[in-house]
Amino acid sequence: MDWRGAYFDGRTAIRHPVVIRTMRTGLELTFEDGTTAWWPLAETRLAQGRYAGEQVRLERGGDLPAVLVLADPAFLTELHKAAPEWSGKFHDPGRRRLRVRLTVLAAIAVPVLAVAFYAWGIPALAAVSARVVPVTWEEALGEQTAANLAPPARRCVPPAAQRAIDGIVSRLILERPSPYTFRVIVVDDRIVNAFAAPGGYVIVMRGLLERTRSAEELAGVLAHELQHVLQRHSTRLIIQHASTGLLIAALAGDATGAVAYGVQSARVLAELSYNRQFEDEADAHGIAMLRDARIDPRGTIDFFQRLLADEQDQPRPLTYLSTHPAARDRIERLRTLAAAGAGPSRPLLPDVDWNAVRTMCAARRGA
Amino acid sequence: MADTCPKCGRTEVDSDTCPGCGVTIATYRAYLEKLRQGPRAAAQRGTTTVAAPPAGEPIVEPLRPAAAVPKSREVFFFGGAGTLLGMQIVNALLTMVTFGIYYFWGKVKVRKYLFSETEFEGDRFEYHGTGKDLYVGAVKATLIFFLPIVLLRVLQQSARDPVVRGTAELGGSLLGLVLVAVAIVGSRRYRLSRTSWRGIRFSFRGRTTDFIKLFVTGSILSLLTLSFYTPVLMARQYAFLTTHAYFGSAKFGFDGNARALLWPYVKFLLLLLPTLGLSTFWYLATQQRYFWNHTTFGEARFRSTVTGGGLLKLQLGNIILLLITLGFAWPWVTLRKIRYRLDHLRLDGPLDLARIEQQAQDAPATGETVASFLDLDLIG
Repeated sequence: MDWRGAYFDGRTAIRHPVVIRTMRTGLELTFEDGTTAWWPLAETRLAQGRYAGEQVRLERGGDLPAVLVLADPAFLTELHKAAPEWSGKFHDPGRRRLRVRLTVLAAIAVPVLAVAFYAWGIPALAAVSARVVPVTWEEALGEQTAANLAPPARRCVPPAAQRAIDGIVSRLILERPSPYTFRVIVVDDRIVNAFAAPGGYVIVMRGLLERTRSAEELAGVLAHELQHVLQRHSTRLIIQHASTGLLIAALAGDATGAVAYGVQSARVLAELSYNRQFEDEADAHGIAMLRDARIDPRGTIDFFQRLLADEQDQPRPLTYLSTHPAARDRIERLRTLAAAGAGPSRPLLPDVDWNAVRTMCAARRGA
Repeated sequence: MADTCPKCGRTEVDSDTCPGCGVTIATYRAYLEKLRQGPRAAAQRGTTTVAAPPAGEPIVEPLRPAAAVPKSREVFFFGGAGTLLGMQIVNALLTMVTFGIYYFWGKVKVRKYLFSETEFEGDRFEYHGTGKDLYVGAVKATLIFFLPIVLLRVLQQSARDPVVRGTAELGGSLLGLVLVAVAIVGSRRYRLSRTSWRGIRFSFRGRTTDFIKLFVTGSILSLLTLSFYTPVLMARQYAFLTTHAYFGSAKFGFDGNARALLWPYVKFLLLLLPTLGLSTFWYLATQQRYFWNHTTFGEARFRSTVTGGGLLKLQLGNIILLLITLGFAWPWVTLRKIRYRLDHLRLDGPLDLARIEQQAQDAPATGETVASFLDLDLIG
């Protein structure tokens, strides 16, 4: 069968009308002046024509090929019949319906896969990759964060009280060798909160410290924050955010959405807030840490209950409870965890006057 | 009576309608005859432009040299949002499954489709880029540009000595400017070199270092003159990017200058606050029209009819569409942008294509990937 098309020689922009006949191993071209040419299918490739509305465009040659253009995709259908050995090389318009079906399947698979990545794949990937991140990087990041949140001018540093707090930390990490050097910094700020920055920096606000009544109560808070460091939650969160940004880029087909997401991530990180999963992890491992250090976990639970009662009288922003999840459920869960591994406990810092430690910032203010 | 279909070339057609492409043969022949007679006959019938083709059907050019009769030419677009949506879905799936590597190949696929559905004078454009080009370009862009900038940032943040900090900040800003300049030129060079029409490649032959000088000094001057130098910089940038662009062996030309834009720019600045920023659209349209109307190709001249109101409607509509569909309306947004741009662009005057020869130039993809990271949308 004969088809009408246009030929471009790849050297000029002149359009040559041509008649094309499909043969078993090639295409026979007949030009207006009667000359003919032969295009072996072995050297011909399809450049356009796979989608509705496209012309059929065949090329032969290297980077600057000669081009053959036809308007009707039925040409390809005939080519498949005339030259079956070469049909693998050229698109078959008959398969377009199959492609639509596959695309519909893909449309179902995409959200399923995206959710699977977000809920499971990315956290798992982050947990694995976080182990590879060098501790020195985390320490550098933590040092910066500590310098911001706990400026040296506002730190409370009476040596005896600091030694007492460091003593709690040493007892907690006794059974757990780790590459981190833990540094607890107390900041003269009446906010009732404590934070863990990456690399081993734990920042405790005076507001929280003053509300503790015994070393055991502070130990619970410290154990939780130390676990944020040991489980590398900051690093995992950074990796998770970056990966989620990439996932968004993949779904949108464009990278600019990911940039906007990255800006939001920076904000979240600056606030040092973790997600629910990490908080639960820190709780569970924190209680285990107390148990292994033979510290009575009831202290922690009493402390949280007291904080909760306080909260209900006077809601305050940025408190320990508002940045940590659902207080009442949490206390119940902590009770269960504590009961599950109950064992003998030894008193913590029995020779230290806790009142002196609690008020360590008063000395700084010269009160 | 065995006939030959005038549209798809199918021979041995026995009925009035072609079984292959579905056109009514007599009607299509009359349409071709109308084209053949040209605008003089059309003017006699009371219209001044070439009749638009029936929707979705490519034009078959009459067998006559295109020089001689001046006419107003349009660029047509035949792409569909459905196909683009399908591509976007498949790209998303494959990108996730390959942990992001397929992203570049997906982008190229979309670009190839958009080019192949764009038609001028009866023939479609072709995009010759590959996913590998973009991937390699991305790796190079990261190593050559992003890493030094990040390092300078870190140096700036962590250095105690204010002299070191100041130098690092200055260095970082300058490097950033150079990066943008390289992205603009590199992207133009790469895209033109990978575009062809009727088998002939476009190319860009301006030197990157020349443009870096132009752009960096221009940006500094804009800063120093509280942005009043900006229209001059824009005009010089457009002139550079246009007068070094080629189709085959034929050069594009630009005969405008910045003087005509200075007063509109001042008006735009004065109206900026009172119009809550909307005067931007008006100025952008004025600038775009001016640039296109002074762009020439041989003896033909481009003509743009975009308006501030049109651009505003386009942008607002796109934002709303994207917001309410959480980004899934992207194919429709893309098509709206393309259609608006092409609906308001014409090429007036004679076009002598017979003397144009192939003169393809090589170009790496590094600048292109940098441009796409910075989301620089370069018109034209």
